[in-house]
Amino acid sequence: MRNRFRDVAIAGATAAVAVFLLVAVRPVAGQAPAVARPQTAGQAPATVQFPANYKAPRTADGKPDLSGIWEAMVTADIDVQDHDAQPGPHADIMGAYGAWPGGQGIVEGGEIPYKPEALAQKKANADKRMVVNITPDSQRHDTGDPELKCYLAGVPRSNYLPFPFQIIQGTEHIMMSYEFARGLRTIYMNENDKNIPKEAPADSWMGWSRGHFEGETLVVDSAGFLPYTWFDRAGDYHSDSLHVVERYTPVSPYHMMYEATIDDPQVFTRPWKMSFPLYRRMEKNVQLVDFNCVEFVLDMLYDQYSKKPGK
Amino acid sequence: MSNRFGVTSSALGIVLATVLFTPAFVAAQAQSGAATKPADTKTAAKADTKAAKPWTMPRLPDGRPDLQGYWTSISYTPFERPAKYGNREFLTEKEAQDVFNEGVKSSFDGGASGAADAVDDPNSADFDFKTYGLSPWQNGVKPNMRTSMVVDPPDGRIPPLTPEAKVRLKGKTQGYFTADTGLGEAWNGVVHADHAQDLGVGVTCTALHGGPPITSGGYNSGLFIVQSAGYVIIETEYGTENRIIPLDGRPHPSANIRQWHGDGRGHWEGDTLVVETTNFRPENTFRNANADTLKITEYFTRTAADKIEYKFTIDDPSTWTKPWSAVVPLTPIKGPLWEYACSESNNDAIQILVGARNAEKAAADKPKGPVGVPISQR
Repeated sequence: MRNRFRDVAIAGATAAVAVFLLVAVRPVAGQAPAVARPQTAGQAPATVQFPANYKAPRTADGKPDLSGIWEAMVTADIDVQDHDAQPGPHADIMGAYGAWPGGQGIVEGGEIPYKPEALAQKKANADKRMVVNITPDSQRHDTGDPELKCYLAGVPRSNYLPFPFQIIQGTEHIMMSYEFARGLRTIYMNENDKNIPKEAPADSWMGWSRGHFEGETLVVDSAGFLPYTWFDRAGDYHSDSLHVVERYTPVSPYHMMYEATIDDPQVFTRPWKMSFPLYRRMEKNVQLVDFNCVEFVLDMLYDQYSKKPGK
Repeated sequence: MSNRFGVTSSALGIVLATVLFTPAFVAAQAQSGAATKPADTKTAAKADTKAAKPWTMPRLPDGRPDLQGYWTSISYTPFERPAKYGNREFLTEKEAQDVFNEGVKSSFDGGASGAADAVDDPNSADFDFKTYGLSPWQNGVKPNMRTSMVVDPPDGRIPPLTPEAKVRLKGKTQGYFTADTGLGEAWNGVVHADHAQDLGVGVTCTALHGGPPITSGGYNSGLFIVQSAGYVIIETEYGTENRIIPLDGRPHPSANIRQWHGDGRGHWEGDTLVVETTNFRPENTFRNANADTLKITEYFTRTAADKIEYKFTIDDPSTWTKPWSAVVPLTPIKGPLWEYACSESNNDAIQILVGARNAEKAAADKPKGPVGVPISQR
């Protein structure tokens, strides 16, 4: 015979658990929710949620201070979508040194919404990512991953390269200096500065960026991109219509949540987002150490013009 | 020689008049720092009454001087002092006008450094910078009362090399165009270009005008300075290079870390920002100094709304018999700076290598000698 009290007790317990989960799992805007699990002896403690009202220390002019050296830990530079580990180029020589790790993607929703013909271009890019043909004109950019050539990584790839970057926050400008190829972005923060054009005066590799704070979040709006950068080594790319809106939100003294909305109607069917955490580099006296990388690619870029042996 | 560019001599006069005879020019000279009095004190007195209101140092919220903004180091002032001035540090006002006039006029005759033959020589790699808006007078150059940039030693000339440096630098070709190929003096002025590693750090876009020190280049001498609570960042337009200087008193890294523009450490002495840089890479040292022993100290002092007095001291006991110093005026320009993506569209490297291959073909039947690409001797 069914025990009504047991049924009620089970229903009550289920309801209690449901209420517990609803209360405990409280996403902060822009983040994936932490999962709260009831404590059981022998298990790891429940994941600690960042304090919901975290406010970064302020600069002297009262803005959230994003200064410091930051670095991503994701493998998105290899592929912004989910990817397995793979052998790198010349595995016969490079072995595990040159192999590429697998990783989970940073694209919200999982897949980049390419137009069909653009998806074909992405695949062609990937097939030819190692092709280097440096001619004295813009055709040099027609094939091959620019990262391989130590070219500037553009936006947002510069932020998820496996290299640190430094944010230096002035009152009217936020500078972002990247260890990879010493790339530099100037974020113009004063909308009333008549000397600074609202639109990019000329297209560039790192784009033209204007920023402002919305509460605790730095919002950066960038356009004026040359079409030569890629989003990763998997051939994901954009056109010169690229428009990126980034949001940088400190959530602890050591973590900054980052998201970038990609809008490029020539290539994608709709805007889409990438997001991942940035981590503060905490080592004592940490600094950027040059990764000039031009010196490492001279043979690769120019060997077709070298003197041939025996001549 | 006819002027191809539609600029009449009356336009030249307007350029000179606008720059030379405004109160700003005279006032700027009068407001130089205490140690640098202009030769003509009557003009200085006149300037004081013309100046609108007394200038006060702009300051950041922490009280430190605000050096931020866009500046140029471009100048017609020679680096070392012409012998005729002896130990004289300053020009008269007329002499300063003449130096400036001569610089602007040279720009109209052709080329960034003013050689008159640049436009007409089809074999010259040089071209007329003003058609690209790159001439100094198009880029904020201002008259300077100094006879030279070098101020110490008192004769305005770089001190002699040490005996050790004379040996080390004999026949050394390392520079903007050529790497240190060890080929000797016969190759001075000719780029030996078997492969890209033979080319200099400038031509390969490995290291450009990032400094230190800041000097006057032919063009693209713009700088952008931003200050945060613990750092100063100096962006140089030529190559969009940038150096980040911490102000927190941390030590330099060990000699196992060498940077293409050295490693800088800054602190304030009163209202002067002092930056000491060491840890240079041997492939890129100022005037081929010894990277192991070179220390460059820079002093930034804002002396007016429109002037930073910038001084640098070169200290390398294994290269020069004593430390020596120069003052390069920094004057404001309108921003912003544009991106200079150098390696991304480097055609120079290709053309020099192709030129060397062509020179080899042409020299195939001729006696051996340096076969490469001549560097213009302007």
